[in-house]
Amino acid sequence: MYKLFLDKVTNYQCVIRLSDNACIPFDTANTDYQEYLKWVEAGNTPEAAS
Amino acid sequence: MAYGTINADQIGTSVAGSNLGAGDASLMKNRIINGAMVIDQRNSGGSVTIPTATSTYTLDRWFAYATVGSKFSVQQNAGSVTPPIGFTNYLGVTSLSAYSVGASETFDIQYRIEGYNTADLGWGTANAKTVTLSFQVYSSLTGSFGGSLYNSATNRWYPFSYTVSSANTWTPISITIAGDTSGTWVGATNGIGIGIIFSLGIGSSLSGPAGSWSGSSYLQPTGSVSVVGTNGATFYITGVQLEVGSIATGFEYRQYGQELALCQRYYQQSYDIGVTAGSVSTAGAIQAQGASGNLYCYASFKVSMRSTPTIVSYSPDTGASGNVYADGTNKASGVQLIGINGFTNGTSASPSGYMRYQFTASAEL
Repeated sequence: MYKLFLDKVTNYQCVIRLSDNACIPFDTANTDYQEYLKWVEAGNTPEAAS
Repeated sequence: MAYGTINADQIGTSVAGSNLGAGDASLMKNRIINGAMVIDQRNSGGSVTIPTATSTYTLDRWFAYATVGSKFSVQQNAGSVTPPIGFTNYLGVTSLSAYSVGASETFDIQYRIEGYNTADLGWGTANAKTVTLSFQVYSSLTGSFGGSLYNSATNRWYPFSYTVSSANTWTPISITIAGDTSGTWVGATNGIGIGIIFSLGIGSSLSGPAGSWSGSSYLQPTGSVSVVGTNGATFYITGVQLEVGSIATGFEYRQYGQELALCQRYYQQSYDIGVTAGSVSTAGAIQAQGASGNLYCYASFKVSMRSTPTIVSYSPDTGASGNVYADGTNKASGVQLIGINGFTNGTSASPSGYMRYQFTASAEL
């Protein structure tokens, strides 16, 4: 499960992996981001940024 | 080769009979980082039970995979046997049950070499170089064990086999592999140059003949020993080396700090070595002082990382992930501006005095 993150000051965005609260950058060379993309492709939707 | 000349694989010296790169010298002979299993930043020697279908890093640069979880554990120096001569550490696998591996199931440990460190091998071309994989293995089981090499797209496979004749005895293994002249292998990039699997039990649908390249997903030779098939079985390995050429030469030892820095390209943490992430520890924590308002502080990585890493922030004072510690309590972390050289973290929860955090950064292949 994932949640999107948006910092309202810098507008920085990443994906939060809820199992360990990891901040995953939008980098296609990052294997955690690759796993996230597979999860989305499987029809899942991350929680919106709060 | 005349002394003082250089070819692609070794450098002649003025000392008769010696060649830098062909003995124990450090000239990128060994493409494996942490092949002597010395570095264990994540677990500090603790045991890890491998969960279901999650690539789980154990000792630095080495990960394990299991189609079904809790069938084996991995620990640095598990079982506390005496390492082979010249080594002080090994990666130890212990089977936690007697599991019959399904046709499409996999249980293994793996290593992935970055493309920048394999591009010179020329795999996927007519000039592909031969390499030799060597290691020492110790198991409670005997027989023909197996594994495989693969490319980034996992559409080129080279199953290899090796024999352990005596149980509970360190056995040196050497496997020479002709470089693949076919297929697509990533060149000088930060992607997967070569992957190596050591099988602990792989199903029949993913097994094939040993000793040749194939486009089929052969993760091991057919009929290889299944470690997870015997409750309590052990499989220990160290001294892993992959080098150019058809002969296994002496293991390339590196200084501890050099090996650690090589590992930190893929994983690093602000915690001291020997302190597991999530522990209550302020040693090495990044801290900012302020009067009031938002507090953020940049953390510089020890070495540049392979790719933009995944960051986990921890409260140093409680160990809670996704948090920093400010004004005497945990507050949600605001990790941002991540690059390969550092990132910024803090809180917008208006602390009035200080904010601090520990972190892990992962950019594994």
